[in-house]
Amino acid sequence: MAGDQKPPNAGGADDVPSGAGQGWTALSYLIGGMLVWGFIGWLVDQWLDTGGIATGIGVVLGMAGGIILVVRRLGTPT
Amino acid sequence: MFGQANVLAAGQAAFPPSVEDFYLPSILPWGAHDSYWFTKITAMVWIAVGVLIIFFLATYRNPQLVPTKKQWFAESIYGFVRNNIAVDMIGHRGVRFAPYFTTLFCFVLLTNMFAIIPFFQISPNSHIAFPAILAVISYLLFNWVGIRHHGFVKYFKNSLIPPAPWYILPLLIPIEFFSTFLVRPFSLAVRLFANMFAGHMLLLVFTLGGFAMLSANTWLAPVSVLSWTMTIALTFLEFLVICLQAYVFTVLTASYVQGALADEH
Repeated sequence: MAGDQKPPNAGGADDVPSGAGQGWTALSYLIGGMLVWGFIGWLVDQWLDTGGIATGIGVVLGMAGGIILVVRRLGTPT
Repeated sequence: MFGQANVLAAGQAAFPPSVEDFYLPSILPWGAHDSYWFTKITAMVWIAVGVLIIFFLATYRNPQLVPTKKQWFAESIYGFVRNNIAVDMIGHRGVRFAPYFTTLFCFVLLTNMFAIIPFFQISPNSHIAFPAILAVISYLLFNWVGIRHHGFVKYFKNSLIPPAPWYILPLLIPIEFFSTFLVRPFSLAVRLFANMFAGHMLLLVFTLGGFAMLSANTWLAPVSVLSWTMTIALTFLEFLVICLQAYVFTVLTASYVQGALADEH
């Protein structure tokens, strides 16, 4: 969580990257998820002539995937 | 230079400004309009390289225990990048990247700064070629560092396979691939390029707009003055953007290197 206390950066090897980098990573996961699966959905649309339904499903799936990635990669460092 | 001012005063400058305004006439051969081998942009990049080399050579030529003013200046730039970017993002392993990050930071900062230095007044980074090459270097750097640190297979396994149950991996791996290996160099380059391009365009619009209004109708002179005042205000905004973008470019490169070096949780 963003509000969690973190010990001051001691320059240790296993430090989680500080704010800026994490922010951009999270943003790129969320947008990337929608784009990748939206594109795959769009390809399926072109292939099966489903008129946009597959694109929609793809975008929603991609959002879910992006959120999972943010939680898994950036949340609760162990 | 006065020729330029006369063109502006006579209202002959094209308004609105266009992408054409970023392609400056050639220096060698002088004044050619379709030769881009040696333009003002090229000259500025070489000047930036030269200035940086001379600056760091001169400030470190005779280092003192109690630093001289120049030495203090160079050391605080290096110290800033080393402590606040390299070590802060990567940890103790970041120290060996600090020289590259400092070079990168200074080069981007100086080439950006040309956008608001009188008589230069355009940044080489407003042409996507220069940010693109810098982004390619960063891309090669973090992949090479990661492959050397982990070995080829483990590096790609680390960066492509997130810690997650196997049944959602097919959903996640394409996203990881896309955001780690495709978007990163692209977004680095485009972020810097777009900021510098838009900044130059903004200054052009307000400067040329003032002249355009003045030559359209003399009664619009007060608005022209307002427009030029805006140019000055925007120049300060540009200064902020210039420093911020140089910092962001370096921080993101450091963050990518950190990601490549990170051990699996």
